[in-house]
Amino acid sequence: MKNWKFRLLCLSALVIIFQSCTDDLDVVLEDDDQFMSEEFFSTPGSYKQALAGVYGNLSLTGANGAESSFLQGIDPGTSHFARCWWYLQNLTTDEVVWSYENDAGTRELNRNIWTSENPILLGMFSRTMAQVALVNEYLRQTSPDKLSARGVNDAALLTEIELYRKEARALRAYAYYVLMDLYGKAPFITENDPLNFGGPEYDRGELFAYVESEMLALIPDLKPARTNEYGRIDQAFAQMVLAKMYLNAEVYVGQNRYSDCITQLNNVINAGYTLEANYLDNFKADNHTSTEMIFTLQSDGAVTQNYGATTVMVNGSVGSIEQNGASLGVSSGGWGGALRIRKQFAQKWDGAGLENDQRNTVISGVRPIDIDDIADRDQGYIVAKYSNISSTGAAGPSTTFVDTDYPLFRLADAYLMYAEATLRGGSGSMDQALAYINALRTRANGGTPGGNIAMGDLTLNFIIDERARELYWEGHRRQDLIRFNRYTGGAYNWAWKGNAQNGIPLSNNFRVFPLHVATLASNPNLTQNAGY
Amino acid sequence: MKTIYLKLFFFLLFLPLGALAQGTLTGTVLDQATGTPLPGVNVVVEGSNNGASTDFDGRFTLSNIPSGATVAFSYLGYRTETITYTGQSNITVSMQEDANQLSEVVVQVGYGTVRKKDVTGSVATVSDKDFNRGAIVTTENLLNGKVAGLTINTSGAPGSGSEIRIRGGSSLFASNDPLIVVDGLPIDNATNTGSTSFLASLNPNTIESITVLKDASATAIYGSRASNGVILITTKSGGKKLSVDYNFQYGSGRVENTVDVFNADEFRAIIAANNPAAVSQLGNTSTNWQEAIYRRTDFVDNNINIRSNLFGFIPARLTLGNTYQEGSRLTNKFNRNSVGVALNPAFFDNHLKFRVNANYADERNRFADGVEGSAISFDPTQPIFDPNSLFGGFFQFDNGVNANGQPIIIQNAPRNPVAQLLQTYDRGENRRFFGNFEVDYKFHFFPEMRAVLNLGFDEANGERSRFVPAGIAASGPTLADVPFGNNDFATEMRRNKLLDAYLVYNKTFNKFNVDVTGGYSYQKFERQEFVQGNQNDPNLPSNFPETNTDTDVVLIGFFGRTNLTFNDKYILTLSYRRDGSSRFSEENRWGNFPAAAFAWKMREDFFKNSQTLSDMKLRLGWGITGQQNIPASNDYLQTYVTGNGVSQIFFGPSALPIAISNRTSPNIKWEETTTYNAGIDFGFWNNRLTASLDAFYKLSEDLLVDAPVADGGNFSNRAWQNVGSFSTKGIEISIDGTVIQNNNLNWHLNLNFTKYERRLEDLIYDQDILVGPNIAGTGTQAQVYREGFTPNSFLVYKQLYDTAGNPIEGAYADLNSDGIINENDKYIYQNPDPDFLIGFGSNLTYKNWDFSFNMRASIGNNAFNQVNASRAQLNQLVPNGFPSNIPVNVLDTNFNVQSDVILSDIWIEDASFLRMDNITLGYTFPKWIGGLASLRLSAGVQNAFIITDYSGLDPEITNSGVDATIYPRQRQFLFGANIKF
Repeated sequence: MKNWKFRLLCLSALVIIFQSCTDDLDVVLEDDDQFMSEEFFSTPGSYKQALAGVYGNLSLTGANGAESSFLQGIDPGTSHFARCWWYLQNLTTDEVVWSYENDAGTRELNRNIWTSENPILLGMFSRTMAQVALVNEYLRQTSPDKLSARGVNDAALLTEIELYRKEARALRAYAYYVLMDLYGKAPFITENDPLNFGGPEYDRGELFAYVESEMLALIPDLKPARTNEYGRIDQAFAQMVLAKMYLNAEVYVGQNRYSDCITQLNNVINAGYTLEANYLDNFKADNHTSTEMIFTLQSDGAVTQNYGATTVMVNGSVGSIEQNGASLGVSSGGWGGALRIRKQFAQKWDGAGLENDQRNTVISGVRPIDIDDIADRDQGYIVAKYSNISSTGAAGPSTTFVDTDYPLFRLADAYLMYAEATLRGGSGSMDQALAYINALRTRANGGTPGGNIAMGDLTLNFIIDERARELYWEGHRRQDLIRFNRYTGGAYNWAWKGNAQNGIPLSNNFRVFPLHVATLASNPNLTQNAGY
Repeated sequence: MKTIYLKLFFFLLFLPLGALAQGTLTGTVLDQATGTPLPGVNVVVEGSNNGASTDFDGRFTLSNIPSGATVAFSYLGYRTETITYTGQSNITVSMQEDANQLSEVVVQVGYGTVRKKDVTGSVATVSDKDFNRGAIVTTENLLNGKVAGLTINTSGAPGSGSEIRIRGGSSLFASNDPLIVVDGLPIDNATNTGSTSFLASLNPNTIESITVLKDASATAIYGSRASNGVILITTKSGGKKLSVDYNFQYGSGRVENTVDVFNADEFRAIIAANNPAAVSQLGNTSTNWQEAIYRRTDFVDNNINIRSNLFGFIPARLTLGNTYQEGSRLTNKFNRNSVGVALNPAFFDNHLKFRVNANYADERNRFADGVEGSAISFDPTQPIFDPNSLFGGFFQFDNGVNANGQPIIIQNAPRNPVAQLLQTYDRGENRRFFGNFEVDYKFHFFPEMRAVLNLGFDEANGERSRFVPAGIAASGPTLADVPFGNNDFATEMRRNKLLDAYLVYNKTFNKFNVDVTGGYSYQKFERQEFVQGNQNDPNLPSNFPETNTDTDVVLIGFFGRTNLTFNDKYILTLSYRRDGSSRFSEENRWGNFPAAAFAWKMREDFFKNSQTLSDMKLRLGWGITGQQNIPASNDYLQTYVTGNGVSQIFFGPSALPIAISNRTSPNIKWEETTTYNAGIDFGFWNNRLTASLDAFYKLSEDLLVDAPVADGGNFSNRAWQNVGSFSTKGIEISIDGTVIQNNNLNWHLNLNFTKYERRLEDLIYDQDILVGPNIAGTGTQAQVYREGFTPNSFLVYKQLYDTAGNPIEGAYADLNSDGIINENDKYIYQNPDPDFLIGFGSNLTYKNWDFSFNMRASIGNNAFNQVNASRAQLNQLVPNGFPSNIPVNVLDTNFNVQSDVILSDIWIEDASFLRMDNITLGYTFPKWIGGLASLRLSAGVQNAFIITDYSGLDPEITNSGVDATIYPRQRQFLFGANIKF
C-alpha cells in the first residue's frame, strides 16, 4: 500500500512539474530593441519616438537600416515611399529613364506598359497604406483613455501629444491624397477599425472629400507655417496638399476649384517663405536649410540611411562616361549611369531666354540625345541636379547614402501653381502670376532679368514646360502632364512612351495605375481600375 | 501489494485460463563464441503462451512445461535454438550469432527502439559498416545516396552544411529541414557564428548508426517537428573490452571544372570585334582567373576510438578526432578538434542503466569570400600581380591617388578576385558542447515497467572576425573611393536544453505483446549575438556594438505510443503527441498529432514453406504531423521595435530612433501534414536479398505562409497566415543484396530508387507567389508558387527562334495574344524537382581486399542557368568602361542586352546527372604486428566523376534550382590507414 501511495505522490509531483513547465510557453521579449506595446509606451519620450515612426515611414524603409523593410516580398529600395512616388511620377514620363531594366518593374514603368503585377505599384500602395496603419495605431495608442490608463497626466506632455495626433492625422490624409492621385481609390481605414481590417473601397470622390475636410479641420490646430521644428509638418504642408488637390480637381472629381487653390496658395506664399538665392542649393546636402522648403523627406548619410529617392537620384545621375560622382559627393562611378533624360525633356532647354538658365544641369558631352537602347548607358543626356555636397562645399559623410532631403513641397512650386490656377480662371492676379514666374526666372539667371518673360508669354503651354524646367525630377511630372491632357493620348509623345522608341499614344486608362494583384486579393472590397 | 493487483489485472485480461502445471525448467543461455551469458533471451514453449526471458546472468526459469514440448530460445541477432523438454531440470544453451540479422537488430524509433522486423512505419537505418566511405567531413554525408527518399546536397566548401530533404520536404515558407536528433536530443539546425554548419561539430567517426523516419506513422511521436521527417543519430556506446581503433586519412583535391569563359586571346579578339575602343585598355598577359582563385587542397583526418570497461563496470568510449580540410578557394580552411565520450554503466542486474554522451568540438575556420563572379568576369588579359600596384602588389583598376595621397579605386570596375581572397582575413571559431544524460530504470517490483529520464544540453559559442586592411585592399568598403577595409568582430551563443521523461511498459501476454510508452518532453532554445560593427567605418552607426537577444522558443510535448503485437505476426502501432509551441498564442498553442500503423508479416500466412521467400511484410501507416518552425518567434504578439543608429528621424536638430509596431499575426497556428504510407518488405534466400517498396501521399494543410494581408490593416503588406495546401506523392524502392557470398569473395550491392511529385493544391487567394533568388538587378525572380504546379516551377517568357533555329533577342511569344509582351505572357516551363533519384552502392571483398563505390543519379531535374542568364550578353563586355569577361555561351545566342533576355526560357536546362561519389580500394593485414592488431590500407577517389549534359559548372545545385555561381566541389584522391587493436 505504501508503495502505491508513494507512486501516486510521484505521479502528482510530475504532473505539477509538467504543468508549471507549460507556463514557459508564454515567452517574453529579451532584446533591448523589442518591446511589448504597453511596455514601450511606459515612458514619456515614447510618444515622440512613435511619432518619429509615423514620419519615418516616409523616409526609411525599416528599423534596421537601408536594407531592412516593414514590407515583405519586395526589395526595400523598391518600396521606399519617396522613391516609388518619384518612379511613378517621373520614370513614366519624358523626364528620365532607369537604365537597369532588369530591376523588376522598372522596364514596364519606363515604357508605360505596366500591369497589375508590377512590384513597384505594390510597393507604393503597401507603403502608403502602411502609413495609414501607423497613424491609426498611433491614434489608438494615444487616445485619451489609453493615456489616462497609463497615468499620463503631465499637462505639457498631453498638449504635445495632442499636436502629435493632429500631425499624424494630416499625414494620414496626405497618404490618401497620394493614393487618390496614383490609383484613384483606396481602402478606407481609421483608428476606430480593428487590426487586420481591410476597409471599404473609397473612390476618388470619397477620398477627395475626406482629405479636403480632414485637412481643413486640422489646419487651425497645426502649428503655423515655419514655426514647427525641422522634420515636422505645419499648416503650410496641409495647405499645399489642398492646393494640389484643388489644382487637379478637374482630373480628380471634375470640379473647377482654382479659386480655392489660389486661397490655399496665398496662405502658403504669404507665410514667409523666400526663394533660395541659388536654385541648386535646394538640391544639395544641406537643402533642409533652404528658405523655400515647405516640407522635405529626410535623408542623412549618418543616421537616416535609405535607398530612397535622393540617394537614387544622386548616385543614379552619375554618368557612365563622365564618372562625375565625386563632383556630386558620391563615389566617382556612382551607379554607373542608372538615370538619363529623354530627348523631349532635353529639348525643353532650347529656346530664347534659357541660354544662361542655372536650372539647366544637363550634361551632353559626347552623348547622343536619342536613346535607342535603354540598356546602353552611354546614350542620352544626363543631369546633375541633385548633389550630396552642401551649399558650402562640404560632402556628406557617406558616399552612398546622401544627406540630401527630398523636396516634397517648395515655394517655387507654389508660385507656378498660382500662375497656372490663375490662368485656368482662379481668383489670382495675372500681374502677381507674372511676378512669381519672373522671380523664378530671375533667380535662375543669377539675379538678372535676362530670362524674364512678358505677360504675353504666360500661357498654359508655357506653364507646363516651365514646370518641367523648374521642377524636373521632383515628382510632379506625371500629375502635371495628366492635368494638361498630355500624358495619355497622342498630344505629346516622348521617347519610349508606349514602348516605341519615338513614342506612341497611350490609352486613357493609364491615367491611373492598377492595383497590384496582391492588393486586390487580400482585400475583396477592392475593385480593379478600368482597363487593367 | 498493489503491484500484484496490477499484474493480476493484466493477467485476467489477457491470460487464457487453463494452463496446466507440469514441469519446471531452469537453465543458462550463453553466447557460443564468447561463452558469456546472454541476458534478455526469450524462452518460449512453442504453441503456448508460456514464456520467460533470461536475466542478466543468462539464467531463466520456466514452469508448467508439458513433457515433449518444444522450448524455443530466440534472441535478436542470433539463430533461434530449440530443445525438446523431456524433464530436464537444468540446461545450458549456447546460441550462435546470425550474420544476416545482426546488421538490422534494433531500430531507433524515437523514445525507444523496435526490432527491425517489427517496424511498422517507413524507416531506414544505416549503420557504420554501411556508411559511405571517403572524405566525410560532416555526418550527413555518411548516408548520402544510401536511403530512398533522402536527398543530401552539400556544397564544395569544407565542412559546409547540406540541404537535407526527406521526401522533398513538406512546407512552403516554413522550414523543410528534417528534425535531427542526436542521442535523443533534437538539435537546432541553425549554423552558429564562426561555424560552417550545424552538423560540422559532430565528428562522423563517433556515429554508430543513423535512422531515417520517413512517414508520419513513424515520425508523429515527434509531433510538431516531424513533418519533414526525422533523422535519428546514435553515437557509439562504450565497450566491455579494451579496443582501440585508429583511423587516418589523407586527401589531395582540386577543382576540375570552371565556367567556360573566353581565354586571353579569344577575349582580345572579341573585344576588338565588338568594342574596338576598349582594345587599348587590354593588358598583355594571360590569366585564367578561375584557376587563379583555386588551389590544390590537403585533407588530413585523424581519429582514435578507444573502448574499455572502466573500473570493470563502466563500459566507456573515448573518441578523439582532428579533421583538417582545405577549401579550394585559396585561403579557405576548416579545422575541427573533437572529443566524444560515452559511458554506459548498468546497475542492479541491469535494472538501472545510465547512458552519458558528451561531445565537444572546437571548430576553426578561415572563410573565403565567394569570388567566383569576379573571377568569371575579370579581364583575362590582365595580370594577377602588378609591381606598380597601389593596392598591395595586386593588379587593380585604379584612379591613381587623391589629394591626400590615398589610392582610389574605380567604383564600378571589377576587383581582382585573387587579391580579395589573399587580403581578407575572415576567421571563425565555434566551440560546442552537446550531449545527454539518460537514466533508464526498470522497476524492481514491476520489471515490465521502465522509467526513462533523458536530459540533453547543447551550447555553442562562436565568434568571427573579419579583417581587411584599409587603403590597400580594393575589395573593402569605400568612402569617396578610398577603401577603408574591415575590422569586424561578432559572437553568438546558441543554447538548447531538453528534458524528456517517459515510462515504458512491455509485457507479453499469451500471443500478445504490449509495448506502451508515454511521457513528456520539454525543450527550450535560446540565442544571443553580439556584433561589434566595422571599426574602420567612419560612419559606423551609433547602435554598434549591438547585442541582440532572441525571444526564446519553448516546445512542450506529451506523447504516447502503443505497439500491440499479436502472434508475432500482426503489429499495430498507435501514437499520439500533444505539442505546445511558444510561437503561437495561447488559443492556438496546442496541436494534436495522432498516428497509426499496421504491419502484417504475411510470409507466415502465405509462403510458410517457401525456400525462396524468407520474409514478407506489409506495412500501412497514417499520421498527422506538425510544423511550427518559421522565422518569426513571436509574431502572435504585438511588439514594438526601435530603430537602429541609421534608422533615425530628425525632429529639430537631434535625431531620434524611430519606433514602430511590428506586423502581427495573432491567429497563426500549426501547419499540419497528413501522410499515408503503404509499404511492403521482402526477403529472399534467408534475407540475402531484401527489398522494400513504399508508396506515400502527403498533404500539408493550413500552410504557414508569409502572404499578403489587406493593406492598411496591419503594419506590413504581408503577415504569417495558415492558408493553402500542398501534396507530395511518391514511390521508394530499396534493394539490398549479397550477390556472392563465400569464404573468399563477398559482393554486396545496394540500390535505391525514389520518385516523388510535389504539387501545390491550394494557395492563398488562389494567387501566384513569385519566389526564388534574384536573377539580376533587383527583385527579378524566375520562379513561382502556382496552384496545380510543383513549387519553384520556373516562370519565364517563351523564347522565339528564327528559321535557322537561333534565338531572337528580346522576342518572346505573346502567349495571351494581347499584342503586348509584358508580365502576363510568362508561362511555367519546367521545375527543379527530379523525376527520379537513384542511389547505387557496391561493396566487394576478396580475401583481404575490399573494393567499394557509391554513386547517385538525379534524372529530370532542371536548372535555371543564372550564370549565363545574367552574364552572357555582348554588351557586358565593357559594362562600366572596363573590359569584362563573359561566358562563351554568348556565341550560341549572340545576345546583347541582359534585361531583354533575362527571363527567357532559354536559360532553363536539363540538369540530370550521375555522380560517382566515392571509389575506395582497401587491403587488410588481419594479423599485423604478430597478430596484435589489424591494419587496413586504402586508396580512393572522392567525387570521381559526373556525367551530365548540363552546360554549367555542376548540375547539383541547392539554390532551389537556380544556378548562380557556386563553390565548386573538388575531386580528391584519398589515402587511408585503419589500425585496430
